[in-house]
Amino acid sequence: MNATKTKKAISKTRLLLAAMVAMALLLPATAHGAAPGITGPTFNLTAQPAYISQPDGSMIYSWGYGCRVAPSGFAPAAISGATCPTMQVPGPTLIVTEGQTVTVNLANGLPTSAGNTSILFPGFSLTSTTGGVAGVLTQEAAPGGTVTYSFVAGTPGTRAYYSGTQGDLQVEMGLYGAIIVLPAAVPANCSTGLAASNLAAEAHWGEHDFRLSHAAYDHAKSCYDREYLFQFSEMDPDIHYQAQAQVAARAGCVAGAAGCSLNVATEPYHPAYFLINGRSMPDDMDPNYAVEYPHQPYNGNPHMHPGEQVLLRVIGQGRWQHPFHEHGNHVRILGRDGNLILSATDPTSLAGPLLFTTSTTPGLAFDGIFYWTAKGLNWDAYGHNPASGDASAKLSCTPDANGYNTSATAAINYFEWCQDHNKPMELAPFGDVPGGGPTTLPDPNLFTNGPWYGGSPYLGPDATLRATGCSAGTNAGPLAVNCGATGSTPPSGTIANSPSGEAGFAFMWHSHNEREITTNNIFPGGMLMMMLVDSREFVIDESN
Amino acid sequence: MRKPYQICLLMLLVCLVPAVASAQSFRVQCPTSTITHPTATSNNSEPAYAGPTYAGTSGYPAAPAHVNGAIKCQQISGGDGYSTMGDGTQTYMFSFGPLSGISDIANGLPGTEFPSVFNTVTPGLLQPGDPATTGITYNGAVGLVPDRDALAAGSCTGLCLDGHVDPRQIMDVGVMNGNIPAPLMAIDEDDEFFLTLTNVGMIMRPDLFEQHTVHFHGYPNASSFYDGVPDASVAINIGASFTYYYLAPDAGTYFWHCHITPPEHLQMGMVGQLYVRPRQNRATGALYAALQQQQLDLRTKCDSTTDILCSNPLPAVNTGATGGGKYAYNDGDGSTAYDVEYPIQIHGFDPSFHFIGMTFNPEEFADMKDKFFLLNGRSYPDTVTPGPLQTQSADGVNHFSQPLPTIINIPAGKKALLRISDLDVTEYQTLASIGIPMNVVGINAKLLRDQAGNNLNYNTNSITLAGGESLDVILDATDTTKYPSGSVFYLYTPNLDHLSNDAENFGGLMTEVHIN
Ligand SMILES: [Cu+2]
Repeated sequence: MNATKTKKAISKTRLLLAAMVAMALLLPATAHGAAPGITGPTFNLTAQPAYISQPDGSMIYSWGYGCRVAPSGFAPAAISGATCPTMQVPGPTLIVTEGQTVTVNLANGLPTSAGNTSILFPGFSLTSTTGGVAGVLTQEAAPGGTVTYSFVAGTPGTRAYYSGTQGDLQVEMGLYGAIIVLPAAVPANCSTGLAASNLAAEAHWGEHDFRLSHAAYDHAKSCYDREYLFQFSEMDPDIHYQAQAQVAARAGCVAGAAGCSLNVATEPYHPAYFLINGRSMPDDMDPNYAVEYPHQPYNGNPHMHPGEQVLLRVIGQGRWQHPFHEHGNHVRILGRDGNLILSATDPTSLAGPLLFTTSTTPGLAFDGIFYWTAKGLNWDAYGHNPASGDASAKLSCTPDANGYNTSATAAINYFEWCQDHNKPMELAPFGDVPGGGPTTLPDPNLFTNGPWYGGSPYLGPDATLRATGCSAGTNAGPLAVNCGATGSTPPSGTIANSPSGEAGFAFMWHSHNEREITTNNIFPGGMLMMMLVDSREFVIDESN
Repeated sequence: MRKPYQICLLMLLVCLVPAVASAQSFRVQCPTSTITHPTATSNNSEPAYAGPTYAGTSGYPAAPAHVNGAIKCQQISGGDGYSTMGDGTQTYMFSFGPLSGISDIANGLPGTEFPSVFNTVTPGLLQPGDPATTGITYNGAVGLVPDRDALAAGSCTGLCLDGHVDPRQIMDVGVMNGNIPAPLMAIDEDDEFFLTLTNVGMIMRPDLFEQHTVHFHGYPNASSFYDGVPDASVAINIGASFTYYYLAPDAGTYFWHCHITPPEHLQMGMVGQLYVRPRQNRATGALYAALQQQQLDLRTKCDSTTDILCSNPLPAVNTGATGGGKYAYNDGDGSTAYDVEYPIQIHGFDPSFHFIGMTFNPEEFADMKDKFFLLNGRSYPDTVTPGPLQTQSADGVNHFSQPLPTIINIPAGKKALLRISDLDVTEYQTLASIGIPMNVVGINAKLLRDQAGNNLNYNTNSITLAGGESLDVILDATDTTKYPSGSVFYLYTPNLDHLSNDAENFGGLMTEVHIN
């Protein structure tokens, strides 16, 4: 709370954070999101306290749902090393299939003074509730006790679950999670055509399939190639400190005895931590199930290839709304809380809005489709150049009916937008891209490079190497001056997307209430993650 | 630590000018022709839309079937400045200012210019504060002068306006000249847009060596290079210029802002407006047929069966509407027609954060609290003061700090398009209309239409936006019985605590609609 916040100190903090990012990337840094969780249809959960980690070094006392015993399984299967601790924030993602009868056994392992707890399942009708004691909104588990909820997962989609007991405190403390219902019948077109081509490209480069399904709903317009789940919430550390102190002061008290309860003030509300999947940037970009965060297993680190249909499952879990801005393109909202939004006149057509800022709202989930291609840039995003000495600069682009290079599933420019193929961007060369383009880039010494700058305007490690003017034999004469000078080393020395390695196009996905991209008053932090569009030869590995 | 750096900064500004040939400092770019727009004489006005640029699956280097759109250029400064709040408080800002179209900006117009206007030399010497100081009328690129080195070397002939600038003019006009909102930008679909950001430094904060960037918020299929996120791209240092290049994206109301330390630079004022006018404005004859023409070019077509992110398939009903008017989107049915348009940007200033921003004090982000609620950088009653507002900056000179009033003048019996965007960094804001219903026709720069072609526009009297959102509202005053000439209506916020100017329990997020 007392971090020095002079401008100078903040600059140092920026470097510190950058260094932390760098350290994170020294780990086997190939975990890129997915929507991991546990499978059922019976879930044995517990609610327990633990400390969750924040990038300013704080360990915040929290409550969360977890697995009382090992779950019946983990999904997606391609992610190894999955765990379900006895407490995690957000709670375990419950993955079920449409039509299944879901049973959730909840044990209350919270401190006795915290009182009862429970789970609400908005959007589902409980078919039975057994055990526990009556609460205001639902049946509750008393301290040390249990309660069982059953319902039928009637329709597909992403929904929230969260505590129905003293929500102003319990949800704030971390008692929330997600339920994903997969469609019972995946439409046939989700496994043919472009979906099949994308899968063939994935297979060519040895990528695994990290999807839970091939469609978000029982609907032909809901196919997807990749998916991510993001839960947004905020945290007022003062509430957590109060709860921690009061729980300690009442240790050993007997349930129901006078004074064996908490009286935590949850207003006025001053959140200082802004979380995606329980983590703040840069921690959110570390792997799923990273050992550093034993109680925050899920990350926020989206990656994708051009043309892939990417399903975003997003839930507002706090008490505030957050304007989640996806740089790079719009998102088509498929549905909210499992309710697919269709045209009033044609059930085969979608009617959800197209948004570049998808506000999260407390308790509300949405499913949306995002994709990125280079369509409309008016220059070749790969920096192709038929006059180059570099063979991969001379690849072809054969447009399909929609203008994309999708027949060559093994090519590094699979899904290139062909209308701009070979179209130069620069007038004066930046690398070996020839003259003739409309723009002239300034002397690279006038730039400051960012840690996620891929080293050139172009996509992919191959394109970047060529365009930075340093590939062998192709950059003689005056171009050699650019060699090195256009390298991507930012002032911090941190390289998170190196010109010779990933060299993707990086986009910031963040809360546009910009004060929320801070961690306890330190920028950068909070609700911020970098999304990377990777050219085909970079293998996106969402496993650990 | 700070003073030596200050000296370095001054030396940097001075020394970069005569640097080696390959190095540049300030520079503008506005080519008169390009591959896409090959005929220089055709690029200074918008040609009529006659058909697809490329038909079928063809593309570069094939010759285009039709050359559409033109070239547009704009120059802006990144730096600092002062504005005046509704209660008279002078407020320090990190901000962008106009370095092209300075007279147009002062008149509430975009500073986006055709090459024939941008590539002109000032008629006289511009003074600090101009155009407020001398009243000069000039819309070209500030600082643009003949490149004498290139002339001497014989690599350039004629007037030789190749982007070379006189840095003195850039600094004279650009320093302490920040605007709120930042300079207005407007382009047409199929235009190539050359946007030069010139970083003049923040004179009141010599301890900072901040870069600035332009984030074109909402640009579909953006490149990260021109997306303006410093972490993911490059950012231009003080004393130099960077030209962003965009092919105008799909029509709609976008906006732009700096992306350096966003909670700080956006709160401090680096936010502006940007919209793209539709191809349909340039079409003649049946609008439905014009949209069918757009379906022939893979870049401009909307096929809902293969593209989940396009919003303007052919309308379900062919209304037979014909062109010649102004439209918010390529609707094909005239449903987004309007007569007059007004960009409205919602923002908020936290005065204590701005004070801290000027005085080198520690910054708090979590408890940032706006006390001034702004429409186009002004609170009521300043929102209805015609013409530019000026503020004396620390240089002792008056600058046009707040060029845009928000008086919605609608000719009787006509329709107004409100292009509403929000860049508040702390909270959601609501704007309501008393009287004329708000017909929402687009959200986040996309037409409200389902994949089957049914329009989903709706009437409301209140819209709520977060920072980072935009929508398009049509105020339909065609009923002259309900909305007769001379009547006045209000746009105001039902967030009642936002109807204030800091300590004054009056003002805030409010403006007037006048039926003329
Ligand atoms: Cu800035």
